[in-house]
Amino acid sequence: MQEVPAIEPKTFGSLLLDMAIMLLRAGASGRRIRNTISQIALAYQYSYFIDLGPKSISITLLDNQAHSVFNGTRSTQWYGVDFKVISAIHRMTSAIAIHPWSIEEIKREILRLQKLPGYSRILILLAVSIGGAAFCYSLGGHFGEMAVTFGATFCGLFVKQELQKRSLNIYVVTYICALVAAMFTGAFYIAHIGIRLENAYATCALFLIPGVPLINSIIDLMDGNILYGIERGVNAMMHAFAIAFGLLTALFIYITPG
Amino acid sequence: MILTKAFWCGCAAAGFGILFNTPTRALFSIWLGGFAAGLIKFLALDPVLGAGIVLSSFLGGIMAGIVAISLAQWREVPHILIALPSVIPLVPGVPAYRAMMGLMKLARQSGTEYTNVISDTVYNGVMVLFVILAITFGLSIPLIALRIPFIKSLLPKKPPVA
Repeated sequence: MQEVPAIEPKTFGSLLLDMAIMLLRAGASGRRIRNTISQIALAYQYSYFIDLGPKSISITLLDNQAHSVFNGTRSTQWYGVDFKVISAIHRMTSAIAIHPWSIEEIKREILRLQKLPGYSRILILLAVSIGGAAFCYSLGGHFGEMAVTFGATFCGLFVKQELQKRSLNIYVVTYICALVAAMFTGAFYIAHIGIRLENAYATCALFLIPGVPLINSIIDLMDGNILYGIERGVNAMMHAFAIAFGLLTALFIYITPG
Repeated sequence: MILTKAFWCGCAAAGFGILFNTPTRALFSIWLGGFAAGLIKFLALDPVLGAGIVLSSFLGGIMAGIVAISLAQWREVPHILIALPSVIPLVPGVPAYRAMMGLMKLARQSGTEYTNVISDTVYNGVMVLFVILAITFGLSIPLIALRIPFIKSLLPKKPPVA
């Protein structure tokens, strides 16, 4: 049998909560969070109970005599999407399941994950703008429309990155970005340079679509994490409404006077 | 034409992969997932096969899930990290746009045209809902199938992680 390093339950429970809340913030599904906690707790021969709320996580650890040795709750105010964190915790969990790490190794890894660098801002802007233009082509747009979609996505995402630094309400940020992207696209329509409005308009705000929460919410509902799934789904719908209002505002500005 | 569209679907998926801060080692897999999902969707939409947008999106979702499961262990990432960005290009942008345009028309339309506008708007709105559900269910089928022990046993064993 594998030798398990001695690990103090309070420190271990706190580290488990750190990992769970990092996964929650990174946009992981409820099942992934439960599986991660389960694999790590079992690797150190603890039983566990986990209570998953929309923005909080509670964990209870039990020793091999079923005595409660740790109770803890942690919450977060926000969550987004960060696949690097999910991937890194997935690798760590796989490694721990094969050979349990010492507490110091886990702490070091969590500290490293908290400082994981993302892609550079300009790379994100260019890649997502190319993605938006590619999306436009796949929906039947021509190269002129692709160029407009590229510009609209670039401007909208740039504004989003700036607004995110200013702690504005997330739905207001989505509305403003959709409006900026749609206004950019509409300007070319007004200029009568032969751009069909439909494909460019339909794809200019796609970088704002909450695809990950939307799909995660269905997966969570199917897994029985009802509250968690509903919260994610409603959050995604709020973003979708904000995008729709942004596009509608631009349409009213450009089309109604005519 | 279908291959070109599928190529751009892959590019869109990879672009969204970067937006979601996906590890670099998984980006090519995401491109492949987007390409395969787009290829299946546009093949199914071809008049020869004649599948509707809902069925073709469903098949595209299934394909993205299969590609994700096949490549996830190779790239040492959870399969959902490949699957989610891969299906983003299947999102029904044009029907969503038409539904919104219809809503706007409803605010200022009256008379005999009103019924037609309502009909078109509801049609497009319901289409968006069903396509998104079809993508999600399509994506979930291979991921749920992966939990069946027999199917799991067909996949290569996980390599030890350093």
